[in-house]
Amino acid sequence: MRPFERPFRRLLAAFDAAATRAYGYAWNPFYQSGTVAVAMLLVLIGTGLYLLLFYRLGSPWASVGRLAADPWLGAWIRGLHRYASDVFVLAAALHAFRMFAQGRSWGPRTLAWVSGLILFGAGLVCAWTGFVMAWDSFGERLAREGGRLLDVLPVLSEPLSRIFAGDGPVPSAFFFVNLFVHIAVPLVMGVGLWLHVSRLARPSLLPPRGLMWGMIGTLVAAAVIVPAPLGPAADPFVLAQTTPTDLTIAWWLPLSERFSPGAVWATVLFLAAGALSVPGLVRRPRTGSLAPSVVDPRLCTGCNQCPQDCPWGAITMVTREDERPTLVALVDPARCVSCGICAGSCAPMGVGPPGRTGRDQLGALRLLVLPELADGGALPIVAVCCGQGSPAHVVALRARGAHVHTVSCVGNLHTSVIELFVRRGAPGVIVFGCPPRDCLGREGPKWLHERVFNDREAELQPRVDRQRVQIATLSPGDGRASLAAFDDFARAIALLDRPVRESAEDFGAVCDPVSAGVGDGAP
Amino acid sequence: MITLERVSRLVIAGVATALALGLIARTSAAPLSFHAGSTPRLRLSWSARPERIEVCRTLSAEELAQRLEHMRQRVSCEGRFATYALRVESDGQVIGEAVVHGAGLRHDRPLYLLREFDVAPGVRRVRVSFTRREKTDDDAAAFAKTASTGSDTGLFAGRAQRESAEHARRAGAAIPARLALDTTLTFAPRQVMIVTFAPERRALVLLGGSGRP
Repeated sequence: MRPFERPFRRLLAAFDAAATRAYGYAWNPFYQSGTVAVAMLLVLIGTGLYLLLFYRLGSPWASVGRLAADPWLGAWIRGLHRYASDVFVLAAALHAFRMFAQGRSWGPRTLAWVSGLILFGAGLVCAWTGFVMAWDSFGERLAREGGRLLDVLPVLSEPLSRIFAGDGPVPSAFFFVNLFVHIAVPLVMGVGLWLHVSRLARPSLLPPRGLMWGMIGTLVAAAVIVPAPLGPAADPFVLAQTTPTDLTIAWWLPLSERFSPGAVWATVLFLAAGALSVPGLVRRPRTGSLAPSVVDPRLCTGCNQCPQDCPWGAITMVTREDERPTLVALVDPARCVSCGICAGSCAPMGVGPPGRTGRDQLGALRLLVLPELADGGALPIVAVCCGQGSPAHVVALRARGAHVHTVSCVGNLHTSVIELFVRRGAPGVIVFGCPPRDCLGREGPKWLHERVFNDREAELQPRVDRQRVQIATLSPGDGRASLAAFDDFARAIALLDRPVRESAEDFGAVCDPVSAGVGDGAP
Repeated sequence: MITLERVSRLVIAGVATALALGLIARTSAAPLSFHAGSTPRLRLSWSARPERIEVCRTLSAEELAQRLEHMRQRVSCEGRFATYALRVESDGQVIGEAVVHGAGLRHDRPLYLLREFDVAPGVRRVRVSFTRREKTDDDAAAFAKTASTGSDTGLFAGRAQRESAEHARRAGAAIPARLALDTTLTFAPRQVMIVTFAPERRALVLLGGSGRP
């Protein structure tokens, strides 16, 4: 990670830790920022359709006032609409911040970053028009500011600001166009959302059901307890001293009003250009740990597992160029984010980022780790940790006597590594992965669990005692729980017999499927 | 199993949720200052077509013969649109002056005026004048003089009258060469008085006073 992103990453970790302490990692809404935004968008569409039934273009404030005065449905549905829009903006902003801080805003993710920014901007425009619809003092203020900003652009033949001046009623045509934009923008956002996730396999669009309904229920309760206020009707003959302003959405308004339209547009364009150029500014060479996966066609058996496991749809099966009858995997470097999950999915270890294929992992283990560990006699419990985890957690595990083995993502971990540890005498292996919705590889913990416990291809071999293997979650802010999981595991391991340590030769004969002259990395 | 840790986590989650919702509800309708002072305001707002200042002449028979039949307009006018001087006074003091012209690159679109002036509360004598800057004869009259010469026969029967009527209509639709409003107003704090152009009365009128529409 570059120094530029580091402070943001620290800040994000602090937020995550605080939220995890309050809700636990499984219910941490910060891990669900993107899906929460989508859920709120759906709530907005649902509640908006109801509100639309009662909205009148000819008397906007009065019709919204009637809704606000209806205690049975109108008031709380309107409140839910309002609060959901606030949560949408907050969740979308947090999502963008998370992607930036975690270095997930460049390379193959550029399309998602750019489309996400456009979606965010569209959401703000939609919220803007929504407040104007009510035509209370805040709506009028937003409309005036919008008119002031638009009037400097050579797009409208008549200045928009004049229709709010008060020398005549605001025409219904204005409210019609405003309503049209308010409805059309979410439809366009649907297309934008499709584009946003188009480079993901199996995109998660909604948060876990419990969290989603919990949030909606909580927002409904908030809307009932604190109904969304409606300001006094817009009056061009009175200068309002204050307006009931939604600062979540119109936080920019006090600033914008202080400067000339030209300065505001220049600032907006500067910020937009800066945000859109982030992928170019933070990109780094696709070498080392960022190099895209490669396929060794000599090892690929055409099993079709890596395309199924790849969370980015970066692998396809194509016809081979040699005489073998199977297909062969082909990695699209433009879509590959180097998560290494394909390496964990490949039983013959023929695919993965350079240096992180299953064969590379085993080779490094044999050459560097095991000799050092075996030097002292019996192996300790091995804790395999995701490299994104907290350094403090690693220190705490080492203090408990564990050998910490770090991987770039637990989805990258080949199950043969676990087997090698156990068969070389480690009493147990516990793997600490990121919270499921915060995995940089998106599906690392899920696939690891499937491979270890549910016989998914590249599975942990049946000969490995499952009592000696455990998968745990390491979440910032919940280090105590992960250390407790380690302690529980250590206690359970202590009740088992000491494992039989096999020699390197025995293990190599069983575990290495391509050691006899096929591959190039045979030990 | 209900443990103390579980209960405490639920309490923390509940408190955190309540705080977050309270914050959202609070920021959802924060009373944000808009017009901080109590100064009233005079707002001028209208749109109208500027006058077209033209020099017209009757084309000769030879000139007409050179044109395509459907282009044979008897009177040819060339000119431009007028510009106007806006002047606003409060109690004899000039609080605003500007030159106003039609919108568009060639200033041939209607003129749009939206100006606001802060004035002190209380009784004020307000004078607004909007005067054409170009000194010229009335366009419609100039045209009528030209158009009345000659007679129409055959294909052109009645055409001169129609053209004259059209010029008169256009001249009538344009804003008058001189508009003025001179009145005494009582400005309450935060009140907005609007001066606008009423096309049907062809005069500046006041909105927002005691006779607020």
